[in-house]
Amino acid sequence: MKKLLTFSRFKNLAILLVFFIFPLIDRSPYHIDVMVSAGVFIILALGLNVIVGYAGILNLGYAALFACGAYLYAISNIHFHIPFWTGLFISGFGTALFGMLLAFPALRLSGDYLAIVTLGAGEIVRIILNNVDQVTGGPNGLLGIDHPTFFGLRFGVKSGPYYYLIFVMVILLVFFLKRLESSRLGRAWTAMREDELAASSMGVNLMWAKLTAFGIGGFIAGIAGCVFASKQGSISPDSFDFVVSVMVLAMVVLGGLGTIRGAITGALILSLLPEFLRGFEMYRMLFFGLAMILMMLFRPQGIFGEVRYKTRFSSGKKGRFSLTPEARKQ
Amino acid sequence: MKKYARQPTNEGAFVKRIHFVLIGSVLALSFTGCTQNTSQSNVIKIGCSAPLTGDQAQIGIDTCRGAQLAVDQANQKGEVLPGKTLELLELDDQHNPAQAVNVAKKYVSDPDVIAVVGHFNSSCTKPASAIYNEGGMVQITPASTNPELSKQGFKTFFRAAATDDVQGPAAAKYVASKLGVKRLFIIDDKTTYGKGLADEFEKEARKQSIEILGHEGITQGDKDFTPLLTKIKPMDPELIYFGGIYPEGSLLIRQARGLNITSKFMGGDGLATPIFIELASKEIAEGTYASMVGGDMRKIPSAAQFIKDYEAKYGSMGQWSAYGFDSANVVIEAIRKAGQNNREAVLKAMREIPVFKGVTGEIIFDEKGDNKNQFIGVFKVENGELTYVGPAA
Amino acid sequence: MTPLDVFLQQIVNGLTIGMIYALIALGYTIVYGIAQLINFAHGEIFMVGAYFGLLAYTLIQLLPVGSVGFLFILPLIFLFVMTLTALLGVIVERFAYRPLREAPRLAPLITAIGVSFLLQNAVMILFGPADKRFPSLIEIHKLSFHHVTITNLQIMITGFSLILMLVLHTFIKYTRMGKAMRALADDREAACLMGINVNQIISIAFLIGSALAGAGGIMFGMYYNTINFHDGYLAGLKAFSAAVLGGIGNIPGAMVGGVLLGILEGMGAGYISSEWKNVFAFFILILILLFRPHGLLGSRVVKKV
Repeated sequence: MKKLLTFSRFKNLAILLVFFIFPLIDRSPYHIDVMVSAGVFIILALGLNVIVGYAGILNLGYAALFACGAYLYAISNIHFHIPFWTGLFISGFGTALFGMLLAFPALRLSGDYLAIVTLGAGEIVRIILNNVDQVTGGPNGLLGIDHPTFFGLRFGVKSGPYYYLIFVMVILLVFFLKRLESSRLGRAWTAMREDELAASSMGVNLMWAKLTAFGIGGFIAGIAGCVFASKQGSISPDSFDFVVSVMVLAMVVLGGLGTIRGAITGALILSLLPEFLRGFEMYRMLFFGLAMILMMLFRPQGIFGEVRYKTRFSSGKKGRFSLTPEARKQ
Repeated sequence: MKKYARQPTNEGAFVKRIHFVLIGSVLALSFTGCTQNTSQSNVIKIGCSAPLTGDQAQIGIDTCRGAQLAVDQANQKGEVLPGKTLELLELDDQHNPAQAVNVAKKYVSDPDVIAVVGHFNSSCTKPASAIYNEGGMVQITPASTNPELSKQGFKTFFRAAATDDVQGPAAAKYVASKLGVKRLFIIDDKTTYGKGLADEFEKEARKQSIEILGHEGITQGDKDFTPLLTKIKPMDPELIYFGGIYPEGSLLIRQARGLNITSKFMGGDGLATPIFIELASKEIAEGTYASMVGGDMRKIPSAAQFIKDYEAKYGSMGQWSAYGFDSANVVIEAIRKAGQNNREAVLKAMREIPVFKGVTGEIIFDEKGDNKNQFIGVFKVENGELTYVGPAA
Repeated sequence: MTPLDVFLQQIVNGLTIGMIYALIALGYTIVYGIAQLINFAHGEIFMVGAYFGLLAYTLIQLLPVGSVGFLFILPLIFLFVMTLTALLGVIVERFAYRPLREAPRLAPLITAIGVSFLLQNAVMILFGPADKRFPSLIEIHKLSFHHVTITNLQIMITGFSLILMLVLHTFIKYTRMGKAMRALADDREAACLMGINVNQIISIAFLIGSALAGAGGIMFGMYYNTINFHDGYLAGLKAFSAAVLGGIGNIPGAMVGGVLLGILEGMGAGYISSEWKNVFAFFILILILLFRPHGLLGSRVVKKV
């Protein structure tokens, strides 16, 4: 067991090292930029994993939180000249608050009803961004957002600095989420996810658990939005449509719900795959859809997801009694 | 999470494999990059980026087909530079600004790519133009009409299309002076293009003291506009102006006629396409006005030839195909002038082209990269065909 | 037009689109009721139905029947399209959902998204990305009452949708198969023990839902006269909302939800502002769910410990 542990630690270090030296070996701005885009999705996937994976609340409108973070930074930067690092906090905490606001319906609803409310909220936010011209610039969006500077180093439109910014952020997030997983709150989420009624009778405050899940998920999405806005230099509602919510969800599920390395891997696969498929242009999204189906059929529990086994009657062929994996309660 | 019971699986091995695959693919990505940087090839690539999949695929494909035709014809005529052939590198931006940035970086990091025709949507052109500027690469957008784009001060930015603040006002003047309209209703599709056009139209219409009965938006991709049209019907406007493109435009006019609304109907170059007439049906589209940059294309011999060639190759033409064609041709002209496949030289040559005679009319770049020739013509659907009726202002 | 005319006209418009929403919503609701699965690819099946309709029409044009009259041809087209979409639905279920029957609940959601990408792009490649003109198939007559216009097509859409819903309702309520479906919806394991073939019943649910979506697709095409490979997205989203609004899993609920959504969003767009049309749709949905957490006609599931 001990040996295994050291091996896995070594492996993690090796992976970190590969990602650390990646931009040094490969100087192609395109590849680094693709990795930066993937990095934004990694942060998003880690955030959504808190809501969907840990707390078990299906969220189909995560792009709304992402958008909130991006627009918060963009507006505070353009109108009040708030620098990136302060903006990061504004975006993070502002979006956390917004996420908690969205969670209010969650306190009354359950399961798929909640999912549709998050979906509706996501669409509403996008349409508001598109229609409230005076504040958000409408379909034109906002432009002229400052790129970050770090002790005099101007990030500009180069990809390298963003790569390392996201690299550090992901490490910090993973550390934070690892601690969170086994904390009192993390265990409360797990209990709530498995059985709300049982959890609340064991003293878990469901309302608090749901609010914090949305809050922390929102905080992370806000950070991702802020980084995204500062890198792009301009944002518009086009970047925050339903497809983004769906893709982030697909990343989390594909990687394995509730696992950190799953969220990271899923985000990497689903954001790199379309780039690998360039050259097929018109057929690109067709293959992408096909790949999604195949990956899911091959690993229904997600790449790093765990299968739990429980005795139950099979509803499979001929009504045989057998041991089948129990569907994880959502 | 504890497992209830463990089934013997090779879980660990699988996970290990996944790690290898991931690291492998990242490295593969990096090595392809290394090899590309050192290649000395005999092709000159011109990028063309627009939405090629998703809901705007049609207009994107139309644009890139125009550019493709230009490249093919240039290759047929003989080598643009000795020993080199031209190639169009089409990349899909899915009208997503983040994808557009990826695409831009891909072009910039490919040493064979000399210039880019694109992007289509202003929201994509905006962040991408910063990347092209950084890479010193000519970018000419065939269709992004947002006036803000050329105010960023990028030397590499060029635009073949007219900006919204030219086309909208010209159309409004036409409506006031030639059509004598006194009361109208404005609809736009809440996109950068449609709203930009409709807003500029409204400003000028107010100056011309036309009564604006209302200005409302619709959602691109929606099909049912009867609620809005039912609201408009009792107001009885003389004209309905639509800022948007043909799918919604054709539905709007069909549904308006279905509700017995007899107002005139007008739009921008988004409606000036045969597909609009086909979708709305000839009888219903009859009498619709559309403004467009340039005059009667059929009167320009090269344009008539272009239409013939395009239709022979791809079938009916989209409204931005000609812009794609012209944009690519300007770039090819600049490469020929520069005499070398060097981004800097091509950029310099691009600035020195005095007048380019394209199929959409003359293209003359000002110091901001905008097209100085902002002649707006008005077209009308007559007997099921788009017919040129005269200059807008 | 008096304000009353405007109001009635809005109701007529809303009712027509609401009926189409309801037909699509039925597909979501049947599948959800029986398999507890949100079939996100359902909107695409609806869109493919519209394209099949166009294909059928083009094929019939090639046949020498020509001017036999569309009253005869119309049922033929509906039959052809509904069969094909039903088949497509069953195939999708067989390959994308059935292998994941015992998998975590979100796994089929992801394959559904995959299927939806696949269908959308397949149609885009096969038929081209441009909007296609869809013929009205019947001769349109306008009927005017004061200033309110109703077309015979609108009456046909409403009537035919109602008939389809009635047939479905009777099927579920009074046939053996329908009883099996209800049993499965109630308790899958108990139904399984009673000898009900789960896979077969779920296939049939997909078959019915997809056939209805196909019919909805043709009517959508006839009504709007243009179709696009991207139409399944918004229509599917609205229909899904309608299903949830009425109480997902509940068949009369889907009908009520669809019609209500169609009329209310039309009212919002017509009387307040059309650029907020979709906001109304979702806002109404959220509002109703806040007061009735299981939809309008959905029943509260009693939790057992």
